[in-house]
Amino acid sequence: TLRLICTTTEVQRKNAGASGPEKYTEAFIKKQIEEFNLGKRHLANMMGEDPETFTQEDIDRAIAYLFPSGLFDKQARPMMKHPTEVFPEQRKIQWGEDGRPFHFLFYTGKQSYYSLMHETYEKFLNVQKHQDQLAAEDLPLQKEKRNLAGSRWLTKIELEEMLLEKLSDDDYSRFIQLLQKLVALPCADIEESYIQKFSKELPVQLQEVVIEPLQYDEQGKAFSTGEGKRKTARATAVVYDNGTGKITVNGTDILHYFPVLQDREQLLFPFQFLGRIGKHDMVCTVSGGGRSAQAGAIRLASAKALRSFVTEKEVECMRQAGLLTVDPRVKERKKPGQEGPRRKFTWKKR
Amino acid sequence: MAAPSAAGLGRRLRAWLPRIMPVRWSRYNPSYLEPEVKKESYQKPLEELTEEEREQMELKAVRPIKAAPPTLSSSVFSDPMISKFTNMMMKSGNKVLARSLMSQTLEAIKRKQLEKYHKAPENEKETIECNPYVIFHQALKNCQPIIGLSNITRGGKTYQVPVPLTDNRKRFLAMKWLITECRENKHRRTLMPEKLSQELLLAFNNEGPVIKRKHVLHKMAEANRAYAHFRWW
Repeated sequence: TLRLICTTTEVQRKNAGASGPEKYTEAFIKKQIEEFNLGKRHLANMMGEDPETFTQEDIDRAIAYLFPSGLFDKQARPMMKHPTEVFPEQRKIQWGEDGRPFHFLFYTGKQSYYSLMHETYEKFLNVQKHQDQLAAEDLPLQKEKRNLAGSRWLTKIELEEMLLEKLSDDDYSRFIQLLQKLVALPCADIEESYIQKFSKELPVQLQEVVIEPLQYDEQGKAFSTGEGKRKTARATAVVYDNGTGKITVNGTDILHYFPVLQDREQLLFPFQFLGRIGKHDMVCTVSGGGRSAQAGAIRLASAKALRSFVTEKEVECMRQAGLLTVDPRVKERKKPGQEGPRRKFTWKKR
Repeated sequence: MAAPSAAGLGRRLRAWLPRIMPVRWSRYNPSYLEPEVKKESYQKPLEELTEEEREQMELKAVRPIKAAPPTLSSSVFSDPMISKFTNMMMKSGNKVLARSLMSQTLEAIKRKQLEKYHKAPENEKETIECNPYVIFHQALKNCQPIIGLSNITRGGKTYQVPVPLTDNRKRFLAMKWLITECRENKHRRTLMPEKLSQELLLAFNNEGPVIKRKHVLHKMAEANRAYAHFRWW
């Protein structure tokens, strides 16, 4: 059985736009927008700035200055935002004055979802017809494989926002299956523009991290620093170029600081992976954690420092070997009513 | 209560929090992929890869990757099978002791094989295997059962039904049998490395109590062949 433990606002944020018919009329929203623009100009005048070039960031700064608040929750503090951000987009009333609904699928309950499914299936049949035509004329079918790794489908919340209607998990998975079937057909390039409405680009390379350039000390030796952590251990490493392969931890040699072979293997792992065992010197400081955690922290710190010495392809190889990710595993907390994080108390019959 | 991934609560891809927390969860977002530690797989030129491998490479370029665990390393000496066996031998988290026992076992195997090598006549010298890692892998392979038994209850009676085993299960059973054999059926004064090296050498030659246990299991499965249709998976 599954127990609800805790969720964040990200998951609890219901799509307010889909919750019901509109609570705010169009005229009301228009009036709010006018009031907002007027208020923006007044605020600009008060702060002594130009009303024409007053951006949202300037508004936020001005409000934080004029109404300082000590509340911890940022969303409880006074804010002045454009009405479209404050009042979520909602569906207009779906029926006319005589009570007759506008959309032909209104009585299904999920009109936008079903109309979307119908549209997508229509495109699917279109593509199949095109395929049959090409096969009849004996022309070769276009087989350019669409790059699946670079994009992802819309999430359920994003789709709900697009349709302004609540969806169930089942509905969402059916829609995604239909889209995947459509994409799998060879001639799907015709409907490319339609498919792009439902897919989002993933950041192509996960190399969003900036690699720092090498620094040079007084004697002209190149060095670079890196920081790493694992559980409660924090480590900083300074890797010097043109070295003999000596590694010093907190002033002592690694042979004396880490008597266990496994820890020394972890320290040498980044160097061995890049093939630079005898070429670099390292001086590290580490504190906190236990024996294995300190070794993991130094490994991460040295891998981060080595990024500046190495080509981009090798950095990508290091990332795929798992050397550059912070290990998020920490000790699980003890729960009340249990002896440990997982162990329950001994069951006694009476 | 600590939520699974505390980092980056604002971003949708990273902050994966299910509505209801299952009991078996991990600190990583499910989109994180397993790390590939071996150096050779990164040195292959692009042309030699098959379609699947190319897709895998593209996927790896976009997705985040989990951190390599402390037992895994790209050095020649780290072997995933040996690490698994060491973990199974470990008691109360004493990895240092387990690792030293493992290395003493491998040393003992090497010594025994070298003794045999130097005593053997010239023509037989090539057939004697001296590499302890090769002996370990071959012994484990020889101990793996092909088919297992599972309890299925029908009409009040529990039958032992022959069932195919997955690779993981086979490896686990082989290692478990070796360790229980060494812990229980030995003379009080013999040390673990000595007994383990003895068992591994016997298993390498398809003799010994572990191989016998595997054959017994196979015979039981063959005897209960009639109930094989009870299996529904």
